[in-house]
Amino acid sequence: MTLQPTLTTLDALKVGQSATVIHLAPTAQGGADVPRRLMELGFVPGERIRMVKRGLPGGPVAVKVGESTFALRKFEAALVSIQPE
Amino acid sequence: MGVMEQQVATRAPLVALLGNPNCGKTALFNRLTGSRQKVANYAGVTIERKEGHFTSPNGRALRVLDLPGAYSLTAQTPDEAITRDVVAGLRNGEQSPDVVVCVVNATNLRLNLRLVLEIQRLGLPMVLALNMVDVAKKRGIEIDTARLSQELGMPVVETVAIQAGGERALVELLDSMDFGAGAGIKPQPLAAIDAVPVEQTQREVRRIVEASASYAHDKGNLSEKIDNVVLHPALGPVLLAALMFIIFQAVFSWAEAPMDFIESSVGAIGEFVGSVLAEGPLHSLIVDGIIAGVGGVLVFLPQILILFFFILILEDIGYLPRAAFLLDRMMGGVGLSGRAFIPLLSSFACAIPGVMAARTIQNPRDRLVTIMIAPLMTCSARLPVYALIIAAFIPEREVGIFNLQGLVLFVLYALGIVSAMAVAWYMKRRSGSGQHPLMMELPAYHWPHLRSLALGLWERAVIFLMRVGTLILTLTILLWFLSSFPGAPEGATQPPIYYSVAGMLGRALEVIFAPIGFGWQICIALVPGMAAREVAVGALGTVYALSESGDDVAGTLGPLIATSWSMATALSLLAWYVYAPQCLATLSTVRRETGSAKYAWMMAGYMFGLAYLASFITYRVALALGGG
Repeated sequence: MTLQPTLTTLDALKVGQSATVIHLAPTAQGGADVPRRLMELGFVPGERIRMVKRGLPGGPVAVKVGESTFALRKFEAALVSIQPE
Repeated sequence: MGVMEQQVATRAPLVALLGNPNCGKTALFNRLTGSRQKVANYAGVTIERKEGHFTSPNGRALRVLDLPGAYSLTAQTPDEAITRDVVAGLRNGEQSPDVVVCVVNATNLRLNLRLVLEIQRLGLPMVLALNMVDVAKKRGIEIDTARLSQELGMPVVETVAIQAGGERALVELLDSMDFGAGAGIKPQPLAAIDAVPVEQTQREVRRIVEASASYAHDKGNLSEKIDNVVLHPALGPVLLAALMFIIFQAVFSWAEAPMDFIESSVGAIGEFVGSVLAEGPLHSLIVDGIIAGVGGVLVFLPQILILFFFILILEDIGYLPRAAFLLDRMMGGVGLSGRAFIPLLSSFACAIPGVMAARTIQNPRDRLVTIMIAPLMTCSARLPVYALIIAAFIPEREVGIFNLQGLVLFVLYALGIVSAMAVAWYMKRRSGSGQHPLMMELPAYHWPHLRSLALGLWERAVIFLMRVGTLILTLTILLWFLSSFPGAPEGATQPPIYYSVAGMLGRALEVIFAPIGFGWQICIALVPGMAAREVAVGALGTVYALSESGDDVAGTLGPLIATSWSMATALSLLAWYVYAPQCLATLSTVRRETGSAKYAWMMAGYMFGLAYLASFITYRVALALGGG
């Protein structure tokens, strides 16, 4: 029997917790290709990321990817499927 | 222009600096070119185009272009679009560069190198400037530049832009390069970039970084520890509020001494010129017109510089994106992006840099809303008007622990902010669209850099003084002429200005403005005040000086209006200035920034509407309460 990995999205990650990016949901909102830009910034499948800080409830989150930290709004973070460690 | 200069202007090879935001590109540009810079706009847009030049030790002249920071050539902001078009040779009037210097932050190769690989597909000659190597070394990051150069297939040099001599390796390399006979290499079409999927490029970046850099001894940086406080859900906003409070305090209290100095100097010049020149039209033009008008505006230079001093430092150390992070939830509630914080903060100095700073907002609708509300932030040009009226009408009294005059000023600022939020909320309701992307980098903190700060303040001072010397001077002179001619007819019962062209205009406008309590003198001052708000004070000075016997303006204007206006009129004029779009320069910037006159007209329309409404209510309520 194998344990099913628990997939979730980045917006649900707890502060200080790390995860691996699995997949980005394709969407084009407000004329901007958000998933493409996320990938350009480093959110590519297989990459390790970490939740640095969460702001006020419903506000943006600060996520570390590679050597950079990015502020993402909740809906942007929700595009990133992850596997928490 | 010497032979040398001419060569620089026309034939010298063009070096383009290109890189991610926060890579130290502009610091490197400043280091290379020093004061030999020319700041203009790209044709047709108000995006700053910074070009400079320098001569290498071997006597070679080189031109340097500082391209706007970009994460990708798949542009998502107007700034990124400019960078894309210039480097791909698609922008009219811009030569494609002879060599592209990709500036990368050595502490963040993972993010920075992707853009380098993307640019490489355009096939232009390239150089990699590994900037901030000092910080990387301190942190224990080791980069094998020879290996990196081999992997990328381009020369790699180390630079430390914030250190004298930190550009030497780059200069030597550029000196040794062969740029051909100016034949120019045509870049590949942009489609070449999309030939490789993003994921594959990222894999390649990871491979190159792993092969050429070692993070074994990476001690990390302090940024996360600082962010534990700065981004804390409770402490962060308190810190932000405290910072804002200190800034506004400083703008008012630090500026006092230099402002007094400028005021007394202007007064002394006026007196001196007045004593030398004989009474007559020329005396009146110079003393009542030019010196009173220009001096009244010049006095705000210290406040503008103090505000920009703080904005530039907060930007330099990396705090502004954190402020945007903290405010995003709140601003999101009225349909703004947290990024709007930076343009709106700048707008307290002047709406023009505020409107221009809105470029960093990716979403076109968010950007438009930010631009539309920027002029509702109380800019420094309103201060003279507020200060004049408050000093003349509001008694200096303690209300609890507050000073009543200060309280009124605070209410005026707050009114602007609250109204801006209301307008943003209304625009969001109207368009009813969903959420917009933020995706904002929170760069590592670093110490402010004094040289960049000094250059930035110098730039602001020059822009302001140019405005005073051209636009405001011209208008002041024009107003004097309109207010002085034609002279009074025989047997006139009113002061001469009443019969002048300006007087006729003022009386015509009085029909519209009488319901909100403005007499013809105020109406005259409103017209030149359209060009720049602060001119209204100088104009009121000129108008009342010419209305009375021609006393010296600066000292007597306050008591003069205190006796000739009612309290209701004074409060109405304050309300008017919170909203009125009294600034043609802002409107023309809006037209350029949005690329359409429609939005400038919309802005003028809604602001005039609000101004009239607010003044009408204020005037009527004040009258009813006995303020007539």
